Amino acid sequence: MPGVKIIARNIARHVIAIVATVLLGGFLAATLVRLAPGFDVDEEQLDPHLNAESVQALRQARLEQHNIFAFYFYSLQRAAHGDLGTSISLGQPVSRLLRERAPLTLRLVGVGLLLSWAVAMALALSAAWLRVTAYDALTTVITGTFLCIPAAVLALLSVLWNVPGALAIALIVFPRVYRYARNLLAKAYSLPHIVTARAKGLSELRILFWHVVPVAGPQLLAVAGVSVSIAVGAAIPVEALCGLAGVGQLAWQAALARDLPLLTNLTILVTLVTLLANSGADVIGQMLRGQEA
Amino acid sequence: MKDLLGRLAGMTIIGKKLIAVPIVCLGLLASSAWAQGELRFCLRSEPKTFDPLKVEDDASVTIRYLTGGVLMRMNRRTQVLEPELAESWKVSKDGKQITFKLRSGISFSDGTPFSAEDVAYTVKQLMDPALHSPTGDAFRSGPGNVETKIISPVQISITFPAAVAGLDRQFDQVAILSAHSPKKEMAVLGPFMVADYQPGATVLLKRNPNYWKTDAQGRKLPYLDSIELDIQPNRDVEMLRFKRGEIDLVNSLDSEYFDKLAATSPQLVHDAGPSLDSEQMWFNEVAKAPLPEYKKNWFRSAAFRRAISEAINRDDLSRVVFRGHAQAAVGPVSPANKFWFNARLKAEVYSPDAALKALQADGFHLQDGILKDKDGNAVVFSIITNSGNKYRERMATMIQEDLQKIGIRVNVVTLDFPSLIERMTQTFDYEAILLGLTNIGLDPNEQMNVWLSSSENHQWNPQEKSPETAWEAEIDRLMKAQASTADAKKRKEDFDRVQEIAVEQQPFIYLVNRNALSAVASSVQGASPVILAPQTYWNVETLSLKYSKPLTGQLRQNP
Repeated sequence: MPGVKIIARNIARHVIAIVATVLLGGFLAATLVRLAPGFDVDEEQLDPHLNAESVQALRQARLEQHNIFAFYFYSLQRAAHGDLGTSISLGQPVSRLLRERAPLTLRLVGVGLLLSWAVAMALALSAAWLRVTAYDALTTVITGTFLCIPAAVLALLSVLWNVPGALAIALIVFPRVYRYARNLLAKAYSLPHIVTARAKGLSELRILFWHVVPVAGPQLLAVAGVSVSIAVGAAIPVEALCGLAGVGQLAWQAALARDLPLLTNLTILVTLVTLLANSGADVIGQMLRGQEA
Repeated sequence: MKDLLGRLAGMTIIGKKLIAVPIVCLGLLASSAWAQGELRFCLRSEPKTFDPLKVEDDASVTIRYLTGGVLMRMNRRTQVLEPELAESWKVSKDGKQITFKLRSGISFSDGTPFSAEDVAYTVKQLMDPALHSPTGDAFRSGPGNVETKIISPVQISITFPAAVAGLDRQFDQVAILSAHSPKKEMAVLGPFMVADYQPGATVLLKRNPNYWKTDAQGRKLPYLDSIELDIQPNRDVEMLRFKRGEIDLVNSLDSEYFDKLAATSPQLVHDAGPSLDSEQMWFNEVAKAPLPEYKKNWFRSAAFRRAISEAINRDDLSRVVFRGHAQAAVGPVSPANKFWFNARLKAEVYSPDAALKALQADGFHLQDGILKDKDGNAVVFSIITNSGNKYRERMATMIQEDLQKIGIRVNVVTLDFPSLIERMTQTFDYEAILLGLTNIGLDPNEQMNVWLSSSENHQWNPQEKSPETAWEAEIDRLMKAQASTADAKKRKEDFDRVQEIAVEQQPFIYLVNRNALSAVASSVQGASPVILAPQTYWNVETLSLKYSKPLTGQLRQNP
């Protein structure tokens, strides 16, 4: 089974790449936070009630993270035993914070992705089927408009109109998905055998599932992987502005507070999710191509 | 109860509804008796702790206020201490010892009885040096241990190693813990207790069934059934939710929101007048600061600082930036602090001409509209403030315009808060800073770490090994003198002099005292916002709601 071997080798390559990238990403994040202005200080130091010893104790807590190599080494060592450290700004174990907030973000991103793909594919398919210039222009204008609106503005609008944050995520993601999907589908529909099939009067559904999906499917899967990263990125402003207590809001607060343990772990988590999504799409795409061959 | 719930769980949905309707009706009838619904408002950050002794952030302070039982409480309206768990107390003449007579027959929320042992336990925990508690640090006036002596189950004396100025007032912040309850800090003596906590989302407080207070008619307090505190860092969302009727109170309202709300619903907004908070700027007077020597000389000149102060139009700042909801600041103490404000001090009169004359007398001169020092250096400096604070950004811009009139060029720089604090406390790489000071206490000792020259928070020149100027030495002496006596009159005299020196020397250029603005929904009864925190719910025990509202969380935004 040479195909299986190739796929297994490909999975192994992805796993190595994921581990290396996650470790490097975590280290880079920790280094950037460490070098950021204001890393050494804590707002609490300005509390006039605190005496010199208490202010010193606050400073000491930050000093322990001064050597970034030592910090990262010991963080990884602790992480290997399931201890992700303690958030400086919230004073709670990072693992607990992530456990408490991840479900909301997963739900938000999941629903947002489903909605965005549903809208994007509906628009892309209808554009590919209809092939009417006016309709194509209309969808381009709509998606272009949403592409131009910053994620924060869409988040604020969702607050203002009291609509779920997942809708804001969907509106951020769908124009990006639409662009790729429309081009891929248009290209697939213009292939000679599909043009012939349409000319012979085959049903659109049959053409879609028997001829178009096999051609555009692997590339659409790659887009799906990318869309996960876009949705996760969009969750940060959406959660921060909508007041949703997810991982995105946590990332925002951690960045403002220069919370090194929390930010490092969040970066690792986001990197991991992104890479898993992309690698998963890549592997599945390869499997589909293998089946086709 | 578990059986009942189990049986209910086994029924059909229709069956449950049939039973639920009369139960809800009965509940509503009962609530109309004195179960007064759920109050909702926002915490602006996640509470860091529920342990009242470790409290340092605003959200935790709010929860401590609502749940903690204290020996005495300062009435936020009259600014007078009133007995709570302590029926009476007596401070010794030397200010080192306080003796409490406690109320009897009181229990914690879990039913554990309250006694002097709990007070002794709380003080012991609070004064543990390893705790680094801001509340505990306020009691640390000198080296040595704090001793507690339980005279009887309802009488206790606490002796401190040195006099603690305003000793009794400090107990307003000390929530008593139970020495014996298995629930530890979750067993409380205040009107409410923490019932549920959804991290990042809400804290639900329920009425403490064992709360000891009753109203004049003998009804048990508090009136409210519960309080839902929504964690909402975004002020815009908080205002939006208030407008939608999803929350009932907003504290420390921005003047812009205040005016917008006042335009449509004037009955909802309250301006209680100048608060204790001040906005101020100061120059960097740190000897080792990485600044040119000639700039350090300007900033260390009292004449220069006074002239800058005189050239700033505070009335314009109040009128334009705060839309009239602020008052020109006089000095370190706001006029809102009835006892400690030095009434002899008057607000700086805006006079650019007088400022220019004073600068010329100090060796500066105008050349082609540019102010230059005696060595020909143009007077240019930057003011740093925290980015995202639109009021401070506008104030800095207006100060820039004011100083332009006397030939001084000001650059306004905004930095995020951690970067600003780093420059202020570690690198000293700044020329002038514009920030605010939030005062929560009335006593001068609250500002001790600002005025003592050796202190970390002596912001214009922190941690001086010995006072670098005669006036700082004098302030050190006066602050220590007022802290070492229990004689209120003597303390007032000393602190009045501190205020006078501060105004003469202008290490801080006090700009405005912001008004205490708040919003209260019309459904809330008994609210009477004041200038002191917590403005709107200081009398939370007697607050009630006119009508019941949907159950917890129904109106919160869905993900």
